[in-house]
Amino acid sequence: MKPPATPIDTLSNDAANLYKHLHPVLILSLYAYQFSSIVADPVPALTTTLIPLAVLQIAYAAICLPPIGSSNGVGGGEKKKPGERRKAAPGKLEVSFNSKIVPAFLSLISSTLPGIPVLALSLLLFGAPVTTHHAETLLAAAHISFLATLPLVYVHGVDGGRWREIVAAQVHIDEVFGCTLGTLVGAWLGAVPIPLDWDREWQKWPITIVTGAYIGFTVGKVLGGTILKGKTVSFE
Amino acid sequence: MARFQTLSLVLANLLIPAAILVFATGFFPYKPFMPGLAVYEKLGWEEKMGWTKEPEPQFDRVVFMVVDALRSDFVFSSESGMSFVQGLIRSGAAIPFTAHATSPTITMPRVKAITTGSIPSFLDVILNFAESDTSSTLAAQDTWLAQLKAKQGGKLVMYGDDTWLKLFPGFFERADGTSSFFVSDFTEVDNNVTRHVPDELLNSDWNAMIMHYLGLDHIGHKTGPKGPNMIPKQIEMDGIVRDIYEAIENEDHLANTLFVMCGDHGMNEGGNHGGSAPGETSPALVFMSPKIKKITEFLVRESPIEQTSDFEYYKKIEQSDIAPTLAGLMGFPVPRNNLGVFIPEFLHFWDEGTDRARLLLHNAQQMKKIIEANFPAYSFADEVQEMDCEGSLSSGKELACKWQKAVQVMSTMATIHPQLRVQYLYDFCRTAQEIMSSTASNYDVPRLVFGTALAFLSVVLSVLAIRPDIRNPSFSGLFYTLTLILYTVLMFASSYVEEEHQFWYWLTSAYFFALFLSSVQKQWLPWPILHPAVMLLVVFRIARRWNQTGQKYAGAPDIVHSGVLEWGNNIVLWSLVGAAYMDNTIRLSRHVARSIANYWNADAEDGESERFMGTMAVLPSGVTAFIFKLAFTARDAPELVRWPNPDMMHWLESVDLVLFARMVFGGLGLSAAWLIYAEWRKSRSPKHVKGSGALALSLFDTLTLILLTQTRTSSLPLYLLFRLTTFFLTHLSTYSPSTSLSPTTITTTTLLLTHTSFFLLGNTNSISSIDLSNSYNGVAGYNISLVGLLLFVSNWAGPIYWSLAGLILLGAHGSRAHNIDVSEMDARDWIAEERAHLVRLADAEKEKGERRTGWGAWRRHVALLTLGQAAAAVAVMGACTVLRTHLFIWTVFSPKFLYAMAWGTGFHLGVTVGVGGGFWWVGGW
Repeated sequence: MKPPATPIDTLSNDAANLYKHLHPVLILSLYAYQFSSIVADPVPALTTTLIPLAVLQIAYAAICLPPIGSSNGVGGGEKKKPGERRKAAPGKLEVSFNSKIVPAFLSLISSTLPGIPVLALSLLLFGAPVTTHHAETLLAAAHISFLATLPLVYVHGVDGGRWREIVAAQVHIDEVFGCTLGTLVGAWLGAVPIPLDWDREWQKWPITIVTGAYIGFTVGKVLGGTILKGKTVSFE
Repeated sequence: MARFQTLSLVLANLLIPAAILVFATGFFPYKPFMPGLAVYEKLGWEEKMGWTKEPEPQFDRVVFMVVDALRSDFVFSSESGMSFVQGLIRSGAAIPFTAHATSPTITMPRVKAITTGSIPSFLDVILNFAESDTSSTLAAQDTWLAQLKAKQGGKLVMYGDDTWLKLFPGFFERADGTSSFFVSDFTEVDNNVTRHVPDELLNSDWNAMIMHYLGLDHIGHKTGPKGPNMIPKQIEMDGIVRDIYEAIENEDHLANTLFVMCGDHGMNEGGNHGGSAPGETSPALVFMSPKIKKITEFLVRESPIEQTSDFEYYKKIEQSDIAPTLAGLMGFPVPRNNLGVFIPEFLHFWDEGTDRARLLLHNAQQMKKIIEANFPAYSFADEVQEMDCEGSLSSGKELACKWQKAVQVMSTMATIHPQLRVQYLYDFCRTAQEIMSSTASNYDVPRLVFGTALAFLSVVLSVLAIRPDIRNPSFSGLFYTLTLILYTVLMFASSYVEEEHQFWYWLTSAYFFALFLSSVQKQWLPWPILHPAVMLLVVFRIARRWNQTGQKYAGAPDIVHSGVLEWGNNIVLWSLVGAAYMDNTIRLSRHVARSIANYWNADAEDGESERFMGTMAVLPSGVTAFIFKLAFTARDAPELVRWPNPDMMHWLESVDLVLFARMVFGGLGLSAAWLIYAEWRKSRSPKHVKGSGALALSLFDTLTLILLTQTRTSSLPLYLLFRLTTFFLTHLSTYSPSTSLSPTTITTTTLLLTHTSFFLLGNTNSISSIDLSNSYNGVAGYNISLVGLLLFVSNWAGPIYWSLAGLILLGAHGSRAHNIDVSEMDARDWIAEERAHLVRLADAEKEKGERRTGWGAWRRHVALLTLGQAAAAVAVMGACTVLRTHLFIWTVFSPKFLYAMAWGTGFHLGVTVGVGGGFWWVGGW
């Protein structure tokens, strides 16, 4: 059994400190920039927005977050057995490839493959249209998955026990898990304006949900990295 | 301490009905009406205008044909089947209007508006359902019927909807009422009217013939405005119009007959009415007579007209304008409580300007009396006065100024065109109509505030009653509080009142998900996808889809309308319905079997023979209930019963529904009486261990069968989903003692599911969705309290189910006892962990047993629910007070208040406190 996850600190180099603050601004700017075309025609606009979203999230993970297995990441710092032979030191480029790029793509793949279907099914359970708007629901799930789970996989990997804790919301809140909680709660709150009789285009499915997810992501990231850091979610 | 809490809880509960009552008297003030018949009075200006006698009446008879729910486009649009009427419009022998009907758009208030010219108070909605109530008759009021009857030789005849007979008892010389009992009846109700028409057209003794056709409304309710029977019905109505019109043309004694055809209200796209959608408030109105050609020369006579979405065809007038117009045309005084205005087009019947002015002055003088009574502070004298009419004016002042202007124009010595006088009188009348029908004028604001304050006091008292629990708020407690706060906010948003179900669905899904998280935090089960809380979400998602409800997405696809249930001659529907009945009957038979076994020996398990006896005792009730449902559906919604065998179908149609319903209720009453007696006897035996809770469970299953009887057939499968929900909730609570649901969690679940299930069964916060079809089950005559009770049970079936299911979850009534004797275990037991588990299990069971037999848990449960109910009352009353001048006050907020009344009194006091208290008591036996 893995040790319980401790809150994750973002990397402390200059690039990480800069990009950490820049990232939510970029994410929100991306969404704000695409908003009018998403309202006009959700399916193509949400699809094209996915690519820059993935790029930004991977960049955030690669620049600011400790990848799975790294010394300051979770599950890292395994003690070497005494007498164990040191492996040959890998080259610098190789280090950066192995330790960053691989987890980054791993997280992209796993937030796409189990991530999107699971979130789409959750959306259905929470009331998404069953017989219509399938593309919209899938795209909403994709956006939520990239926002909520991509950095999470980067730092936690795909370990089953760790994911049990994540699903049960038992890991300590940090910047990354704050993003996850914020995105999910934001998407849930995003349903609120739908029934209002304002007759606005943006009230249609799934725009408010996705908007809620983006705003929730930002709020969750800020709160998770500051005042909520180290706390846990309790249902007692 | 406990005594203080109980006291504040009792007070909080007493305050809820008090608050509702005080608020209602301020919100729906009893409108005093002026009694007695109007007579022609001195108008003033007689000499000046040279008036010697009343203007010559144009007609001496009226045929008044009401076609229920005749929306404007059913007559006027290019898709209408009424070609004869359209031909009359083109020829000028008919004047068409769209007659605006105010909300509530249901028959009785509309008939009141048409006949008295007044705008009926919202109280009439309640009285519409309590039709026998004598205070709602119009016998003592001034109507055009009373005026026509009072005329020399005045005789009235009436055929059709018996609402008229109830409203006008003893008015009619000859009458044949039909009641709209089964909305699946498209033909009989109308043939029953039409068969009298030829004879009556030959009679010359009457001066008013009223007909009220119900078939078109039934078609609307059943199949919507675009149903396949709609056009044929319109053609049928058109044929009747032709017969009557041709008789008027050809028969000498009918030569001066005015023929009016109108709808009392319209219908929305779902075919229902009661609310204020454009379709519901826009019925058609056509005046027909060969004599009308005199005045239609310069009017628009184009017909048919392209379909429009706002349903406004030709000129839009108010429905109340019919009464003064008939008064002018037929020569009788305008009814005293009238707020209608003579329709200007008809003034052209009189060539003299002085006659026109005189007609209108009658109308204005009559309205002025009402205005004077409502605005006593202002002067409405018939003489020229100085009056400051600059700037923005209050309603009363504005009316006084308009009247003064009319007085000045009437009194001026200058020679002016008579039309000018008419115009000023119209200006006064229209403003008076507008102001008197607008809403702000007649609230008793101090009472509104006082009522809301009382409800708020109830909130404070119920908070006091749960004070010890507040210090350590649990997640569920916080969720509960958040729910109430959000609910209060949302009640101020008209769209969320209309879409309240979305709020509850949204919260319930989230809460089930929170239950999932809470459970997996304590213990991880393999296969999280099959976790009971996830299954709750799945079941709930299916239930949500069952009945589409609310306004915004009304008519959107749902399971009931998807056609899935109708597959293979409705086999899917009836299998599910049958399963629901069977499930309940089997459960009930087990209870009876156990009670028989326990009759002689309190410890006995029920054996083969007891099971057989139990089944034999319960089966007749279950089977009768199912046959009743089949036979009722065969008549109420025949499209849902397609029996391959015509003899069987025939037999179903011949079943005596009243008798069968009584047999169902009687049989269930008998088994309940037996179960209570047996349990009572058992509880007095010395060996009896208190609090098995078995009786609560048996009574719950008995009651569920009654709820099934009172629920719409297409919604019955939902009870299977309810049963699954109960199963998964129980499973969630019991599969491990560590994950057992806390009492607060169960209370929160109860709050959510009572509200959610109300909407799942297809209800909304609009009057139009009230389901009347099951409120006469087993009632032969008219018994207001019985019908009221059945009406409540059939509309609140879901909440009643969940209120009691929540109690059973709370007390874990009838759960299988594990008989773990902790004292027999010792430390040498081979697995310490297993031992600890059993101890926990035993503790949990002991705790629940104690919970059942005491009143503490019930009091906390009810205190929280009282808090919820009081907070909801504050929210609704607060919204109605603050938004009393809101555009939607009569269409959205007032119906919500009516529902809040039923929730607060019928549901909370009657079910949660009353029936629930009884359940808890017998559960502790």
